[in-house]
Amino acid sequence: MKKLELSRRGFLASGVAVGALGLAGTYPFGARAQGTELLRLRLDGDNQILDPGYMIGGTEVEAQKQCLPFLAQYKREGDTFGWEPTYYVTKLEQRDPTHIDFELTEGLIWSNGYGPLMASDVKYSYERMKGTDWGGYFDALDHVEVTGDRTGTIVLNKPFAPFFMVTLCHGPGAILCEKATEDAGGKFTTKFPAICGPYTYEQIPGQRTTFALNPEWTGPKPGFDTVTLQVITEVKAAELAYEAGELDCTELGADTMARYAAAMPPNSSLTTAGELQYMWMGMNTEHPKLQDKQVRQAIQHAVDVDSILAGAYSGTTTKSNGIVCPGLIGHREATKSYSYDPAKARELMDASGVTGLTLTLRTLNNQERMLTSQIIQANLAVIGITVEILPLDSGPFWEMGTESAGDTWQDLQLWTMRFAGTPDPYEAAQWFVSSQVGVWNWERWTDPEYDRLYEAGLVESDPEKRNEIYLKMQDIMEETGAYVWINHEPEAYVHGTDIQISSAPSGELDYRRFARI
Amino acid sequence: MSVIPSEVIIVKAPDIRESAARERREKLSAFLRNWQGVVGLVLVVLFFVSAIFAPWIAPYEPNTMDIPARLSPPVWDHIAGTDQLGRDTFSRLLYGGRVALKIAVIGVSVSLAIGLLLGMIAGLGPRWLDNLLLLLFDAVRAFPTIILALATVALTGPSMEMVLAIVIITSIPQYARVTRTATMSLRNTEFIQAERSLGASTIRILWHHILPNVIGPLLILAAMDVPVVVSVEAGLSFLGLGVLPPTASWGTILNEGYLVIRDAPWMVVAAGIPLILTTLGFTFLGEALRDIFDPRMGRGR
Repeated sequence: MKKLELSRRGFLASGVAVGALGLAGTYPFGARAQGTELLRLRLDGDNQILDPGYMIGGTEVEAQKQCLPFLAQYKREGDTFGWEPTYYVTKLEQRDPTHIDFELTEGLIWSNGYGPLMASDVKYSYERMKGTDWGGYFDALDHVEVTGDRTGTIVLNKPFAPFFMVTLCHGPGAILCEKATEDAGGKFTTKFPAICGPYTYEQIPGQRTTFALNPEWTGPKPGFDTVTLQVITEVKAAELAYEAGELDCTELGADTMARYAAAMPPNSSLTTAGELQYMWMGMNTEHPKLQDKQVRQAIQHAVDVDSILAGAYSGTTTKSNGIVCPGLIGHREATKSYSYDPAKARELMDASGVTGLTLTLRTLNNQERMLTSQIIQANLAVIGITVEILPLDSGPFWEMGTESAGDTWQDLQLWTMRFAGTPDPYEAAQWFVSSQVGVWNWERWTDPEYDRLYEAGLVESDPEKRNEIYLKMQDIMEETGAYVWINHEPEAYVHGTDIQISSAPSGELDYRRFARI
Repeated sequence: MSVIPSEVIIVKAPDIRESAARERREKLSAFLRNWQGVVGLVLVVLFFVSAIFAPWIAPYEPNTMDIPARLSPPVWDHIAGTDQLGRDTFSRLLYGGRVALKIAVIGVSVSLAIGLLLGMIAGLGPRWLDNLLLLLFDAVRAFPTIILALATVALTGPSMEMVLAIVIITSIPQYARVTRTATMSLRNTEFIQAERSLGASTIRILWHHILPNVIGPLLILAAMDVPVVVSVEAGLSFLGLGVLPPTASWGTILNEGYLVIRDAPWMVVAAGIPLILTTLGFTFLGEALRDIFDPRMGRGR
């Protein structure tokens, strides 16, 4: 028998060959060659609360869309959005202005042995939502009647046409398994108690989230067998990963969006999502340094929003004048009680008698927000206000104004904030009613007239009257001096030309509706 | 009656001052023959001069924005280009040098002073105190600087004071350890024992005998430590854990440059150059000083 002899050179050559084979095995395209479709995306941070009642939103809504049932979903119609029933229902009809009948598809099963999807789960989920942080979405809901195992009626307490688009299509419209949720203690955070959707969900904190095909799913097969979302906090790193072929789709920063608009990378397309996002700088009206309305108004007059759009966003976004986005009822064409006027700002500061004011501006630690904050800092320095910028990661940022999350809300002074809306102005308006103080109304003002108008907007069906209502509500917001409107900041996604992406008007991606073309 | 020898040979005792002067001349000569040392000295002087005189050298105020001129490439008016807010990068680099200088000078000198004190206490004190201090030094050194910075920022938020504190805390053990070792080797020498037998106090021994013997190696160590401290500051600021905007720092400029590397690559290059030159300068200078003052270590490498 011949003895195996391995020289140093031979050992090295063998090592290289084995290494090359190993690398080839881990190459992403390898998965495709075996007949499985892998979609590689980016996640900007870990999902923290998947429970629709207490979530932050954003990618948490994206996760809900993959793993939980919904009665309705967005349907893009050219440049606008409509809605359509999902696979989960065989019937979703508005019988009259306050009654919506539904029938669930037969054979849909909850995971973990929790049995079939039932109409009682719909009742549980929606009635439960009324008492949660996101309860505003269900202000128009009276109750849900269960008429059979899979049939029921959603009963509204007032006619409210946007219920389909605003509530049923968005994250709060997710249906939970009653038994599984109760077994989990009535609330959950980073793990779904039970799923009933095309994908299973697995999160490795700080690394990745994986959506794999749900073996119990009987509905239509999604476009990709596996969706992996790598946690990449820096948008620039994600852009580089896309250009290196490590991601199939990623969000872009404003400057890269401008560069790509001029010259796209090969075999790539640009899709804009999140048309209904609105950003502003908020002020805590209860903070001792900002209790004087003249100081807040001085700040409103001192901020040069046009410079922010040019400097921080490379001119890629549109100026905002309120919380209602362009194209919707109640959109404002201009601000009413302030405009960029440093002289007027100085006058207001002089009138207030406040000198040597130092304020802290908290912001998410990303490129656009940091640049925005530095421009605001320079603008306020002109009127004698020293601003200290405090950059924060998404975790502490999104809970800093929430009373239940600690005491930071008491120190909150200035911050930049962006919300994503749905295609009805009521959704954006709900976050600033009195009951939202300490939840999402971090500016902490209350106005009975605003609350009254909010209720009136819910029941009013005349578009012109609704327009007046929402314009008036934004006037009230602006007059508090607590807001400097900045922009509508859509999210641009770059992706391969062979991939069709799907997004909600509020910017969330819906991976199960991605397709290879 | 004493007898005086008819012929007295007078031997002139060596002049200590002359000997010291000759030694200094020899060391200076050795330093000037070391090209790395000279280059290092030039770079270090350049670093100090540009940082100290930044307000007079900088063509623009570092935080003045000119948004229409954003991301301008290097031109005569802006020799290192402009950033995303139209601020002159060269001016910001000069002012960034002041941050680096402040962190380096304060950080190194304070940590050296504290390390010196703790090291001498450990070297001369009782055994239990020595063990306790060693445990403390090792515990601090076991923490990677960035992890310590991340933990501290989570509690206090980013600031220049925090960067300084981290630099000082993480640098103290190395000075203390060197001082302790030198003190322990000196404390049993004959001249210290003689001083003790003559009733000299511990403070006198420390001040007159131990300090002059340990300060040389410590200063060399400090020179070698400056580029480390400058890099730590730049690294923390790059990660957003250091100085806050709009204060210019080489790390923040590097970070801002990284974010627009495809559109304005000159920002990263411009921010990298002073970091590289400063690091090289202090390293060359430190190595040259070590070769001169502690030639055994130099040859041993």
